[in-house]
Amino acid sequence: MESGRVLSRRIAARARVPADTVESSGEKPRVVVPDKADDVKLVERIAGGDADALGELYDRYGRLAFGVLYRMLPRPEAAEEVAQDAFHSIWRQARSYRAERGSVRTWLLAICRNAAIDWRRTRGKRLEREVTIEAAAELLSDAKVDERVVDRLRAEHVRAVVGRLPREQREVLALAFWGGYSQSEIAARTNTPLGTVKSRVRLALNKLRESLEDER
Amino acid sequence: MSQERHPTEDLPAYALGALDKDERDVIALHIETCETCARDVAQFEEALFEAAAVGAVNVDPPADLRTRIVLRHRGARVPSATSWGERVIEFLRAPVPAAIPIALAILLVVAFGVVGASRQQADTYARALAGVADGRVVALAPTGANPDARAAVVIPTQGSAYLIVRLPAPPAGKAWEAWVLKPGTPGPVAVPAGTSERGDVFTLSLSAPLGAGDGVAITLEPASGSAQPTTQPVLAVAKT
Repeated sequence: MESGRVLSRRIAARARVPADTVESSGEKPRVVVPDKADDVKLVERIAGGDADALGELYDRYGRLAFGVLYRMLPRPEAAEEVAQDAFHSIWRQARSYRAERGSVRTWLLAICRNAAIDWRRTRGKRLEREVTIEAAAELLSDAKVDERVVDRLRAEHVRAVVGRLPREQREVLALAFWGGYSQSEIAARTNTPLGTVKSRVRLALNKLRESLEDER
Repeated sequence: MSQERHPTEDLPAYALGALDKDERDVIALHIETCETCARDVAQFEEALFEAAAVGAVNVDPPADLRTRIVLRHRGARVPSATSWGERVIEFLRAPVPAAIPIALAILLVVAFGVVGASRQQADTYARALAGVADGRVVALAPTGANPDARAAVVIPTQGSAYLIVRLPAPPAGKAWEAWVLKPGTPGPVAVPAGTSERGDVFTLSLSAPLGAGDGVAITLEPASGSAQPTTQPVLAVAKT
């Protein structure tokens, strides 16, 4: 199994910019602190047909969305194609967004994740559809976070919470999220009983929710 | 709501996207109407995507991606599918067989049967249609979410209209509910027309009057019934 450090080096090498670009660029990082009410207003404007509001939403979350897609998909071109599709879905679905069912950021990232899964299943070349177990084995990488999209202190807290999960639980989360594997596929590929995989998913996500919610 | 069975144990896997399609569909239908489970899923997703943000690759998107996204939508129309009625209209824009002769309906049913659910179910459904002595049969179109679903409205020359339906048994606490869609603005007005907690092949009498040109839809609702549809239709036809 690949260690988190090796994996993060590989991810950073795959990226077209080094992981420390933000610090070395000389620009003062601008931390995006999501303003939920403001986000909702943006989505309302999108629902009203305002394409500039879609651009503003992209300014807030486009970089994060692209970073998620970049890790989920095999090629930068695929991430680019899926990002466009995902923002088109956001345009189409803006009227059905329900604030009481989650933040705009989570809604947007869920749309991106679903678009990536759809791409892998339908448009990816056969070999590209498969993310190896090793490549998807860690939920987090230990590369520096981009402070334009994630607050550094909050990221450290997330790392600590995830780090406290048993390795097996982190692994099932990562395989499902980054690799797009279902519980039954994970069970088959890791030669683990399905019931064990299910209970790891349950325990991991309950712990994650409990720990991150406490300080949100 | 308290009498319903909540799929609590599967909600984390649902939020993670780690369920197989059949399991996912059942939960998706459930959370359409269950605020408790929907809230749980939202909380799991918030935590999961917060972790994913820390795991995302730190990379610059192409410089012109924003421009392409904005230009693609400038001046474009936002789909107006907000209310249930409007969503039904959106759904019904897909090619839908309107009224078809009974014989053709039977042929279609048999042809679909070998692809979808068991042949026995398809045969039962076909026999039920073949048993219609007189009147008109109008097929409902299945949505993508449940492509094996089948239903037809039977409008006899005498007596009330009814449905012949082929659907799996609804989840515990849920029922299939039929609606007569009366023309309205901006979308059709849905009038409740009967529920069934059965599965396989069954008939469902329409308790609401079916006028010329009315539509019919079937949705999954709480077993206690709904005043208005709360989920996307599994089967529908724009006009009978």
